[in-house]
Amino acid sequence: MHNKKFIKVRDITLFLLPALLLFVGVLIAPILMSGYYSLFDWNGMGDRTFVGLANYKELFTSIDINFLLALRNSLLLAVLSVFLQLPLSLALALALGKGIKGERLFLSVFFAPVLISTVVIGQLWLKIYNPDYGLLNSLLRALDLEDNIMRWTGDTKDVLWLGNVKIALGAVFVPTLWQYVGYHMLLMYAGVKGVPVDLREAAMLDGASSGQVNRYIVLPYIKPIIKISIIFAVTGSLKSFDLIYVLTNGGPLHSTEVPSTLMISMMFLRNRYGMGSTIAVMLIILCFAFALLIGAAFRKED
Amino acid sequence: MSETKVYTIKKTNKFIKPLVYTLLAIWTIINVFPIYWMFTFSLKNNDEIFGDNIAGLPKNWLWENYSRAMSGGKMGLYFTNSIIISVAAIILTLIAAVMATYAMSRIVWKGRKLMNKFFMLGLTIPIHSAILPVYMTLKKVHMLNSYQALIIPYAAFSLAMAILICMGFMDDIPIELDEAARIDGCGTWGTFFKIIVPLMTPALSTVGIYTFLQCWNELMFATIFNSRTQFKTLPAGINELFGTHTTDWGPVGAALVVATFPTLLVYVFLSKKIQSSFMAGAIKG
Amino acid sequence: MKRRLIALALAAVMVLSAAGCGNGGSKGKTKLEMWCIATESDSNRKSYEKAIADVTAAHPEIEFTWEAFENQSYKTKIKAAVAADEMPDIFFTWSCAFLGDFVDAGRVYCLDDEYKNWSKELDVKMLTNSTYNGKHYGIPLTMTIVGLFANMDILKQVGYTEVPGTYKEFIECCDKLVKKGIIPFGCAGKETWCVTEYLESVIEKSAGAEVLNDIFLGKSTWNNKDVADAVDTFQGMVTKGYFDPNGMALGNDEVKANFMKGKYAFYMNGTWNCADFANNADFFPKVKVAEFPVINADKSQLGQLIGGPSDTLAVAKSSKNAKKAAAFAFELGKEICHYGYLDGCGLPAWTPYYDTSSVNALTRSVADIVANSNFMVLFGDTAQNADSANIYLSYVEKVYGCQIDGQGFIAGLAKDIK
Repeated sequence: MHNKKFIKVRDITLFLLPALLLFVGVLIAPILMSGYYSLFDWNGMGDRTFVGLANYKELFTSIDINFLLALRNSLLLAVLSVFLQLPLSLALALALGKGIKGERLFLSVFFAPVLISTVVIGQLWLKIYNPDYGLLNSLLRALDLEDNIMRWTGDTKDVLWLGNVKIALGAVFVPTLWQYVGYHMLLMYAGVKGVPVDLREAAMLDGASSGQVNRYIVLPYIKPIIKISIIFAVTGSLKSFDLIYVLTNGGPLHSTEVPSTLMISMMFLRNRYGMGSTIAVMLIILCFAFALLIGAAFRKED
Repeated sequence: MSETKVYTIKKTNKFIKPLVYTLLAIWTIINVFPIYWMFTFSLKNNDEIFGDNIAGLPKNWLWENYSRAMSGGKMGLYFTNSIIISVAAIILTLIAAVMATYAMSRIVWKGRKLMNKFFMLGLTIPIHSAILPVYMTLKKVHMLNSYQALIIPYAAFSLAMAILICMGFMDDIPIELDEAARIDGCGTWGTFFKIIVPLMTPALSTVGIYTFLQCWNELMFATIFNSRTQFKTLPAGINELFGTHTTDWGPVGAALVVATFPTLLVYVFLSKKIQSSFMAGAIKG
Repeated sequence: MKRRLIALALAAVMVLSAAGCGNGGSKGKTKLEMWCIATESDSNRKSYEKAIADVTAAHPEIEFTWEAFENQSYKTKIKAAVAADEMPDIFFTWSCAFLGDFVDAGRVYCLDDEYKNWSKELDVKMLTNSTYNGKHYGIPLTMTIVGLFANMDILKQVGYTEVPGTYKEFIECCDKLVKKGIIPFGCAGKETWCVTEYLESVIEKSAGAEVLNDIFLGKSTWNNKDVADAVDTFQGMVTKGYFDPNGMALGNDEVKANFMKGKYAFYMNGTWNCADFANNADFFPKVKVAEFPVINADKSQLGQLIGGPSDTLAVAKSSKNAKKAAAFAFELGKEICHYGYLDGCGLPAWTPYYDTSSVNALTRSVADIVANSNFMVLFGDTAQNADSANIYLSYVEKVYGCQIDGQGFIAGLAKDIK
């Protein structure tokens, strides 16, 4: 008996070992270290001084760091994702999931941007947004619309998509939307395709319009996938980094600053490694809290 | 009664169909146009891009933009590196994930649910939150400036998603198969290799896609953990290029196309397979 | 089949990683590695290549490798490397505060001994910015100042054949330009250091070089009325439309290209640009360089400049061959300086031992300006420590974006910089 138990424990350990080594060694341990560093005033190189929770206090009160602005920006991105990107993805998934002509072609085209490197997308959109020669302003000029938009944005010469405090965050969001609509669409499309045909047919025989079928049959069926999509969209927005780093690096005047860009500039530009670690810890807590919150919200609905 | 119902369905269809197609057509244009524009401006000179021919096909096809992008930047090398690192990370993730999933889904023990939750923590952890500690660890184990410097962190950060997907796939394998194998005299390991591993092959491509998306784009680790050109990946490489030719858009466009084209080409041929694997992740996860 | 593929791939990875670890190399040679920012787009690239070719040829006993990184990501990279004590033997750095943090952490090799062999060719004054507690830690390469570049073709259109010498004339000239629909200044708002090139000159020529220098070095606070007034003067230029409004969304490379295309009359930036201007045959005859005029003659005078030796090489204390690396770095620094000056990338920090008549005319006029200088204030983002410098930059951005005025600028900085 004893021997059998030993073998079982040994097997479990061996099977878990590679994953645990990777996970604890590269994720958990470094994050615990970050948590430890967040209690110090440290430039990352020299001596460190223990300051307790002073970094956390400064993070939320300092106007100069303005973490709350970064947080607000990333939450705004999350809201835009959930209320603009996901509905668009859902609409596309529903339209394609019904089985229409050209379904496969549309599907392939919509998913393609997901596979393009973020750095490439960033560079491409930098060119699209260029105030002098970019595709967008050239198009607006050709349609005689640029002046109207400038009246609204307050620009004086050309529309400065990435250089105007009012619209930069929105301008940064568009490429994200553009790239990831296909991602969420395909997730949801998989769900829509999974709806049993007889369920659909039964509802239609009962006189339901296609809108009603979507509303009462398909949506409840793909709810778990929508939940996953929302979690990904929200945590993805909180974590967003690469595209913003390439497009604006948080500027102009911190109007596109998000926690990740703030963290990198704290750590490596301002040499405040302790404060950067504090932001890292806050970011993990926030992502985790939101994931739990969304999960709970869905459970309550059921 | 039933006749009126059929009538209603037809009526809504008349309205909706053109609307749906218009919506799809508009989104198709929005999707394709920037990519089309990238291809065209990669073959133009500044006069054309900045002048009257912004969106049209190039008047003179400037293929030398491509030779300029390729000779200065080492795009071929960066591309190969990205492939090597992504593939290795996918394999490592897969091995670790399938084994762990087996321990948590097939072997019954106290705490396996908790262990699973522990791994799921990884879904919410931002990759940038641990740069310096990971860097120091890599230094201690003498792994900086090598392919492993990126393979191992990428695999670690893809692990949570991979386990989530593998759980879904493994739950679909009937437990009776395990029991049959047991009766045939297979132990835990025998069952794993003879039953589970062969039946998990569909998960392979699904985990592959998700891990690929994670590794292919990563910029910060790629910049910091490698200091040698020979190991540089595509995102780090392109990022270095953009100081180089910002004043000349053509070669920048060419570099972007070179970085994108192979992936899109593979996608064109394998789109169905890629999509179905991706969707399997949605359903199983 | 699939499984065999996996096995093959795994084997391939292992082989490759083995190649990654064991860095073979020939026996008996001393290996030295260097990191710098001379990427292929950098104006200094050619001088690095030539210098390295010369020095490695003279030292066959040394196996030298080097890597160049993009400026912005290099700052992240070198700091991570210093934190982990994983620096290459020789590395590029900016002097003053940037290198100072590394020195404080005890990661930089002291060059006092080696400097004795080079003191005849390298004036000790040039080491001021890389001297900490009386010890030398850096080898300066070239020296740059902020210059006022002017496109004379455009100035001709409003009736000027010379760059206006007094502030009054200068402002008149700008007003005429604006009236004619020509933008006077090109400035990349996306990169705040480009804004400081203008702002620091305005502050220096209004409040005086000594005042600015003391503030940067932390000897006095930002709370200074003259500085506030100078900032308001600068902001006046912004609101009067002297700057390209599109500049807010452009990077420096794009602005520079615009200047060379004749979009702006003036471009204030580092004199390393002389090389690129000299290489453009169409543009070179049109461009002139001058010193920014004096705004308040009671406090400032001509000859007060922004700049100094900042580009520096340093040697890692952790280097296995630190002594050899130091000697090699001095020799390399001297040669980079030599070729850099001949190319017009900057002024020599080292005493030239060669014929300088081939240096382009623009760089030579910069040399004349420097020869007549009496005070140099180092760039604000280099002179201040990393935290202060970035707080300073974010306030400069606010001034340029007209979110705060001069009073807000000095009050904010006096409060936030510790």
